[in-house]
Amino acid sequence: MVAFLRVFKFALQDIWRNISLSLMTILILVLMLLSVNMLLVIRVLTEEATNSVKDQIDVSVYFDHTATDKQIDEVKNYVRSFPEVTELTFLSREEVLQQFKDNYQYNPEILASLNELGDNPLGPTLVVKTREPSDYKKVIAALNVPEYEHIIEAKTFEDTEKAIERIHTITTQVERFTLILTALFAIIAFLIIFNTVRVAIYTQRVEISIKKLVGATNWFIRGPYVIESFLFSVFSVITTFLLMLASSRFLDPYIAVVFNRNAFLTNYFQSNIVFLLGCQFFAVLLLTVLTSSLAMRKYLRV
Amino acid sequence: MVYSDRMISLKGVTKQYAKDSIALHDIHLTIEPGEFVSVVGQSGSGKTTLVKLLIAEERPTSGNVHVGGWDITDIHYRDIPLLRRQIGVIFQDFKLLPKKTIAENVAFALEVAGESVQRIRDVVPKVLDIVGLGHKTHRYPHQLSGGEQQRVVIARSLVHRPKILVADEPTGNLDTINKQEIIEILKKINSFGTTILLVTHDREVVNHLGKRVITLHNGKIIADEKEGKYRLV
Repeated sequence: MVAFLRVFKFALQDIWRNISLSLMTILILVLMLLSVNMLLVIRVLTEEATNSVKDQIDVSVYFDHTATDKQIDEVKNYVRSFPEVTELTFLSREEVLQQFKDNYQYNPEILASLNELGDNPLGPTLVVKTREPSDYKKVIAALNVPEYEHIIEAKTFEDTEKAIERIHTITTQVERFTLILTALFAIIAFLIIFNTVRVAIYTQRVEISIKKLVGATNWFIRGPYVIESFLFSVFSVITTFLLMLASSRFLDPYIAVVFNRNAFLTNYFQSNIVFLLGCQFFAVLLLTVLTSSLAMRKYLRV
Repeated sequence: MVYSDRMISLKGVTKQYAKDSIALHDIHLTIEPGEFVSVVGQSGSGKTTLVKLLIAEERPTSGNVHVGGWDITDIHYRDIPLLRRQIGVIFQDFKLLPKKTIAENVAFALEVAGESVQRIRDVVPKVLDIVGLGHKTHRYPHQLSGGEQQRVVIARSLVHRPKILVADEPTGNLDTINKQEIIEILKKINSFGTTILLVTHDREVVNHLGKRVITLHNGKIIADEKEGKYRLV
């Protein structure tokens, strides 16, 4: 216990007496963590953007007005059985008519022609939403069978197929790009932290050898560096997180305009606080401890 | 561990760094408890290698090394700190921790050995008083003169009450007055029974001491005189 307290005391002494180097190390860790968190924000926003675009895509299946409830139910159950289908909205003939009237309320000619027909000429509609835009093709292909030919009048998919395919391509590319960017940033962060810690250890190589010569054990020499790494990780992660929260509060009103969601980033950071703090803390701690151990190994051979 | 009565004993010790670089060649040497021995020789004669072997900074290529009755020829890595706590070592370049005060530097040698806080508080001011630096305990090494820094190193090496004190060119960076002071302190320590091994190339110091002198040349002992003088080949 006495030895641990001494090691802790040496760590605090080292931080204080090498304050400029300590602050520089923390600053570099914070900058690296900020870069990684910025990328995280870009990822979250991209994901939200693609989800909101995907959410606006659906396929409407227009039934013939002669289709019976039994036939419609059969199609509904069949479509629902697909694991890719996330939402199924059924609009009755009356609802479709009302929607039609609402859409053309400022076009009296169309409404007049509708009144002339007397009876409701529109059939019910089934609005299908799937997980991915690419899944629509599968659902539509399943409905393109002879037994449904006479009850399904039209499907809107043919019209939007190109748009869906394009969105699918864009979202896939964006996801791939952010993934590559994340990996690249992680590598850069690793190299910069690795080098920072190596330089910090290098400046203390003489002290390390002196400690060895007066009879210090390896753990007594390594101990303060491990504790320093721990404290640097804590300071840098907390500072980064506070900066990210402040930036989120600043950005949220602008994001709300685009996605119509209040405090989107703040909520994201607050609801993932344990995971984000934990992952970043352990990653930085592991990196600094491993790097300092590797860098120190050479100087401990005295 | 194999114990012997001699304070330092080297039997047939050879240290070879590379194929054509033999630092020490078949050295046979014994030093009794309480002796004051000077090791002299030109640069490259093997003096520093001898010191490195004694503090287990290097291992012999062949032969056996005993220090304080302890066979350190193949000393285990984890036992090296224990050995170094039993040998006081003084270097020409002082080797003080620059970011610690002189009291902290001396205390560090006790802290690594797990000594109690109370003992450290008792011992550190005493040894600093012995070397005449009791009034400068809170100074940092760079705030002291070379002679004062060397006295701190001596204080640090004394806190464990070592049986052996190895001094590698301790006066190399000092002026005549400081040099004389350091030698007087070493003689005083020796008078208390501590074995001193002084590695030097300072003719004046060796001749003034009038103690045993071992002369090294090209990694070999070429002279070993009981009350010797400084002479080189």
